[in-house]
Amino acid sequence: MESAELLQRESFVEKNARQRVQHLVDAGTLRELLDPFERLSSPWLGLQDIVTQADDGVVIARGKIDGVAVVVAAIEPAFQGGSMGEVGGAKIAGALELALEDARAGKPVVPVLLLETGGVRLQEANCGLAAIAEIHAAIVALRAHVPVIGVISGPVGCFGGMSIAAGLCSTLIATREARLGLNGPQVIEQEAGVDEFDSRDRPMIWSLTGGAQRHACHLVDKLCDDDAAEIRTAIARAVAQPVADLPRTQAVDAHLAQLRSLDTSRRADAEWARQVMAHDIHGAGDPS
Amino acid sequence: MTQRQWTTRRDDKQDRMAQVAPWLDAKQLPADRITDALYALIAPGDRVIAEGNNQKQADFLSRALADLDPERVHDLHMIQPSVGRPEHLAVFEKGIARKLDFAFSGTQSHRIGALMMDGTIEAGAIHTYIELYARLFVDLIPKVVLTAAFKADRDGNLYTGPSTEDTPALVEAAAFSGGIVIAQANEIVDDVSQLDRVDIPGSWVDVVVQADKPFYIEPLFTRDPRHITDVQIFMAMMALKGIYAEHGVQSLNHGIGFNTAAIELLLPTYGEKLGLRGKIAKNWVLNPHPTLIPAIESGWVETVHCFGTELGMENYVAARPDVFFTGADGSLRSNRAFCQLAGHYAADMFIGSTLQMDGDGNSSTVTTSRVSGFGGAPNLGCDARGRRHATPAWANLAPSADPMARGRKLVVQMVETFQAGLKPTFVDSLDAVTVAEKAGLDLAPVMIYGDDTTHLLTEEGLAYLYKAESLEERRAMIAAVAGVTPLGMSADAATTKRLRAQDKIRTPEDLGVRRTEATRSQLAASSIADLVDWSGGLYEPPARFRSW
Repeated sequence: MESAELLQRESFVEKNARQRVQHLVDAGTLRELLDPFERLSSPWLGLQDIVTQADDGVVIARGKIDGVAVVVAAIEPAFQGGSMGEVGGAKIAGALELALEDARAGKPVVPVLLLETGGVRLQEANCGLAAIAEIHAAIVALRAHVPVIGVISGPVGCFGGMSIAAGLCSTLIATREARLGLNGPQVIEQEAGVDEFDSRDRPMIWSLTGGAQRHACHLVDKLCDDDAAEIRTAIARAVAQPVADLPRTQAVDAHLAQLRSLDTSRRADAEWARQVMAHDIHGAGDPS
Repeated sequence: MTQRQWTTRRDDKQDRMAQVAPWLDAKQLPADRITDALYALIAPGDRVIAEGNNQKQADFLSRALADLDPERVHDLHMIQPSVGRPEHLAVFEKGIARKLDFAFSGTQSHRIGALMMDGTIEAGAIHTYIELYARLFVDLIPKVVLTAAFKADRDGNLYTGPSTEDTPALVEAAAFSGGIVIAQANEIVDDVSQLDRVDIPGSWVDVVVQADKPFYIEPLFTRDPRHITDVQIFMAMMALKGIYAEHGVQSLNHGIGFNTAAIELLLPTYGEKLGLRGKIAKNWVLNPHPTLIPAIESGWVETVHCFGTELGMENYVAARPDVFFTGADGSLRSNRAFCQLAGHYAADMFIGSTLQMDGDGNSSTVTTSRVSGFGGAPNLGCDARGRRHATPAWANLAPSADPMARGRKLVVQMVETFQAGLKPTFVDSLDAVTVAEKAGLDLAPVMIYGDDTTHLLTEEGLAYLYKAESLEERRAMIAAVAGVTPLGMSADAATTKRLRAQDKIRTPEDLGVRRTEATRSQLAASSIADLVDWSGGLYEPPARFRSW
């Protein structure tokens, strides 16, 4: 890439959650729901001597992307690692449920989820988990009516229950610095031992859970550079897609067959994972 | 009158070498003979250099040294530009060595501090690099040098490649004074024609030995742009406007902190916006910092001479020979002694950071738990009083137009008023003073003296300390930019107002730098991956810096 091009390139990752939303929606269409002035912050963090944030780290906004009505839910990675607490989780779940009501009423609103999150907020435990379950249910219901777009830009990644939310999306967009996995590297190392999974071995971690690998394994639909314009274009294309006839996660038989074919005595590596998952199990094919 | 014997040093060397001669093939010693050879070649009380650089460690030899029996080899006086390996300190704990003269301790700074305080190490001095090299030719002439090379041939020719660093200075001191030079190499070849190039001629080297594994390299100068904060960017903007542009700084050295990494990454963006390309920051004395890549690629940097190398930068440097000093083989030639001299005498400016500064402007990175040494900072961060050439920036600091008036090197300390853990940077008395007392040092280990510091930059403002007309005024200027630290709270508002009116201090507003503009989106590269993109894929970051 030329220097001039690199200097022109605007980073998406460097924007905070609110700036990301502002960047994505058409000028003049943005309307934030439950903005920071509503002072909806976590009732639990203060009890544990942790400073709260007036939006609990989640920005919800209605607007349009290239004329298509959307609701964007952006998780702020800089606040508590993008963790899902009771309030932030309920904001996303509530926004999705409103979108579902709209869709059923014939006024489709496409959800766009910016998923920079380590998963449930440990300080809020079950309250966060309950919200995540509601998010899952809402995505499944919504995607019968509208495409649901997930974006993981990195470098926090998307883990825990929210990785399931990412998996449920009709289109998932990621950068090469993003990671997607149920358990984070430290958790795997703690459970399985450092010999099995060394959480400091960064090339190994990204080779298995990084954006490029997840794209090669058809768990991510579109791989973008950390380029704000390119990511917006990818999102705009995805929100305008028709609803997939068979979402990836409903192709249960094909996934089970794939899993059954696995030789679990073998240690997984990036190349093998790509071979095993070479086939895209996705109703609408690769939208990219 | 008895005949004076004029060849005792040479004779002693010949006696020692005669003991190892039967084991040598040309100059190559079988690796399994290394312990025997060290017993033969090192005598109690010898001055010994175990080469430790930032990027090249004679670690096979220093491990062998640490395994010797202290009954047979003891009271060594170790001379080390850099103490970077655990075994460098094990020789003291085991009683093989007693006295230490060094310049930098980096990763061993906590342990070395403890050993100095409890008397296990008798500290000579904590030097600056060229000072230590200089003493190798005067009063610290070494008997044995343990050095390291990427490759050697059987005749002792060494290829030290991009990590040449200290080797020429250390080897020269022994090779021409009846000392013994022992070199470990990652690979030993049969013939000189198989070496990429010859950095040290074979006639300076007495013994070569193949190391059991390649020497250890630590990527010391890689700063991940992800960790640069908005405050650092804010201060970098103030530095570019209030110092680089103000004085027309063309030749310079940067410290290794995130502050200066931020400046490197702002040159192609904010610097470009200020129209400064081609006017500032053209000639560098600097290790190949990955964060300098965008400035090089966008045409800011004309030349870079390096103290040492940086892991992962090899291919990038080799592909930019107009900018970097490279050998006939194409790879970097670094040389710490020359680069330090360049930084001392030929650079307009040194800009770096510190952990503590006292009210007079003396600063140090030594704290009670950490004796890091300063490497080259005191050479770079002081006025070169012997300098006899003018450059625009140097001349700009002259107090008057009088033909006898001299300019000054810019020595800039760039610090946030508080360190991690809310410890104030500004203190009544440096920890270095206490450390000197406890460790029996003649001098307090000050990194940069207040009277050498020409500029102090904090997030509160920029103090042009060279404009101070008295020590008292210098103190007031430091207090004026010390924020809400106890020193800063003691600043007198009226005095601060006067200093501002006299243009001796400037606030961010005076400089026209807005806090709201200081965001990470100003950085030319915001991640290691971006740096790789900027390098066209030539930069190969070490695994631990990868996040893709």
